[in-house]
Amino acid sequence: MRYSAFRVLQEALRGHKGWRPLWRDPEPQAAYDTVIVGGGGHGLATAYYLANTFKQSRIAVLEKGWLGSGNIGRNTTIIRSNYLLPGNEPFYEFSMKLWENLEQEFNFNAMVSQRGVVNLFHTDGQRDAYRRRGNAAILAGADAELLERDALRAMIPFLNFDNARFPVKGGLLQRRGGTARHDGVAWGYARGADRAGVDLIQNCEVTGFRIENGTVKGVETSRGFIGAKKVGVAVAGSTSRVMAQAGMGQLPIESHVLQAFVSEGLKPTIPGVITFGAGHFYISQSDKGGLVFGGDIDGYNSYAQRGNLPTVEDVAEGGMAVMPMIGRARLLRMWGGIMDMSMDGSPIIDRTPIDGLYLNSGWCYGGFKATPASGYAFAHLLATDRPHETAGAYRLDRFQRGTVIDEKGAGAQPNLH
Amino acid sequence: MPDLEPITALGSNAPRSLSSGSLTLEENAALALASVSLRRNAPKPSPFGLDLPGPGGWTGSQGVSAFWTGPGQWMIEGHHRADSDFAVEVATSCPGCSVTEQTDGFAAFEIRSSMGEKPILRLMEKLVNIDASRLSAGSATRTGLEHMSVFVIRRAPDRVAVLGMRSAAGSIWHALEVAILRLNAAAA
Amino acid sequence: MLIPHPLLGLRDAQEFSYLGDASLLLRPDGMAENAAETFFPYVYLRENPAGLHRELWFHEQGDRSWLVVTRNTVTHEILGAELAGDVVARNRASRDGGDLA
Repeated sequence: MRYSAFRVLQEALRGHKGWRPLWRDPEPQAAYDTVIVGGGGHGLATAYYLANTFKQSRIAVLEKGWLGSGNIGRNTTIIRSNYLLPGNEPFYEFSMKLWENLEQEFNFNAMVSQRGVVNLFHTDGQRDAYRRRGNAAILAGADAELLERDALRAMIPFLNFDNARFPVKGGLLQRRGGTARHDGVAWGYARGADRAGVDLIQNCEVTGFRIENGTVKGVETSRGFIGAKKVGVAVAGSTSRVMAQAGMGQLPIESHVLQAFVSEGLKPTIPGVITFGAGHFYISQSDKGGLVFGGDIDGYNSYAQRGNLPTVEDVAEGGMAVMPMIGRARLLRMWGGIMDMSMDGSPIIDRTPIDGLYLNSGWCYGGFKATPASGYAFAHLLATDRPHETAGAYRLDRFQRGTVIDEKGAGAQPNLH
Repeated sequence: MPDLEPITALGSNAPRSLSSGSLTLEENAALALASVSLRRNAPKPSPFGLDLPGPGGWTGSQGVSAFWTGPGQWMIEGHHRADSDFAVEVATSCPGCSVTEQTDGFAAFEIRSSMGEKPILRLMEKLVNIDASRLSAGSATRTGLEHMSVFVIRRAPDRVAVLGMRSAAGSIWHALEVAILRLNAAAA
Repeated sequence: MLIPHPLLGLRDAQEFSYLGDASLLLRPDGMAENAAETFFPYVYLRENPAGLHRELWFHEQGDRSWLVVTRNTVTHEILGAELAGDVVARNRASRDGGDLA
């Protein structure tokens, strides 16, 4: 399925009866070279790059629901590469470069909009920390600008600059950051993978792994056994559940619920992405006009795709502290997603002790921005058995080796990352 | 000697007070506090003859009172005794217990109603996530109030006290003041 | 969520802070020869079950008790809570018997 202005016109005259699904709905074959478990953003991106960039064939993506039905369809769509640590920043900058070329790459409108991401700071100590993080980003080839109060006020005049408790002193701006249309990302990768011959198999839940002599031979599914030489698992919040079926029930992962919110549509007011530095609140405005915002995870282990009211209150308080003008906007929808919170707040893209079984997990609540690089690096690992140069630190055994990548310095406490 | 003047938790020479509708809010600058904690396997003491209450309880008589703060722990209140060395007195009457001076760690606020318990219940419903009707006279509990940790003591059906961190006295006063004024504005 | 505090009755979960899996009560011996091997799973690995989960909550804005709460992570239903001190005492009493039951 390709789109063009001519096609849209043609279909308008024919009552839009000629549109066809973007991808096939194939029956699973008996065996594949590579099976990817999880048809979300990361799984679809992995399949896309595996087929298109690394020229692999006989690939299937297994999804228990429908494509993009998990966190890729329920996030706050922010993309940025303003990390601090050397294990993280080059990876996220690689992801940003892939974002910048994504629509040309898969010829699909993912509405990538580099409208800027600004992290507000409220104390002198926080300014120092942000300056350091901005410098680290620049060293890794990303962009960062430290805005003092006046420059920030010229850009975003509606902030509560003189809040008694949390005065806004300035912000760290990444102009290349912004937002992308989350569903469009999943659909673009799915269509591109399908065209390259990948079988996207929906309503196919993995119920077990066939492992012989420490080597994976395939997966048991709700649609029968599917043989595979290599199996890559990219199932975010369901990581522990799926990996337990392979006998890896103990992982450095906890599943937590993160809520997100969208308001009624408003006239354009918020120019980019704004994050509050004294609490946890981040907001942008969608092209439809809704304010899209979120805050902390609820803080307790959860597999329910819904959260509780105290977090709603906390997010609303954060929003009111930083921009009281949104106080009268009505909330339209809220929802929850299950985050694979790792023990150091950073992801895992690695082999496992089981030959042929690979793991992509631990994205905490920063997985959306990582989608392209995560897929690329996981495809690199699956195709070559070597980690991608920007993802070498994302090892599964780093916790045992003492080489954790703890961006926040919070320690082995997943609900604090 | 420089001429030093004591100030209250809210920073003035005299306790602050506010009256609105049937409710009166008063900073209680004269409340002395000392905590008592049992050592392992120690018997329960009875300071000033008080029968120390169980979980969630408050009891008082003759200018002193006590409330439960945790397993084996109580806070003893000395009314109008903030200028005395209250902790020493408590320690004397609680042999073998760990006693800590708490007077300057907390700020206390007393709320009274001139129209029975109803205004008190309505105020508590606005302020704290506890079931006000079950926090009857003679109850005390610690809870959260606008992100601050406070003790809420129901001294009588028409009286409730809020004890919070002294460093947050201004914020607690603001929260209580706003809640009382809004309640009365809504009733008017 | 309301947590049924063994001493204080139903209390708002907002008064509590969350630590995680109750297996954290079973701290290995830091002086043992194999302390490095036993502390790695203790600190970093979790079962992370979908379903019943025994977990530690601290009544921070309350009586400062640590509780072991049994909660369903799929439905958020809370099935019970007891003082962590009681659980530890029971574990000590039946140390030869084994785990957290």
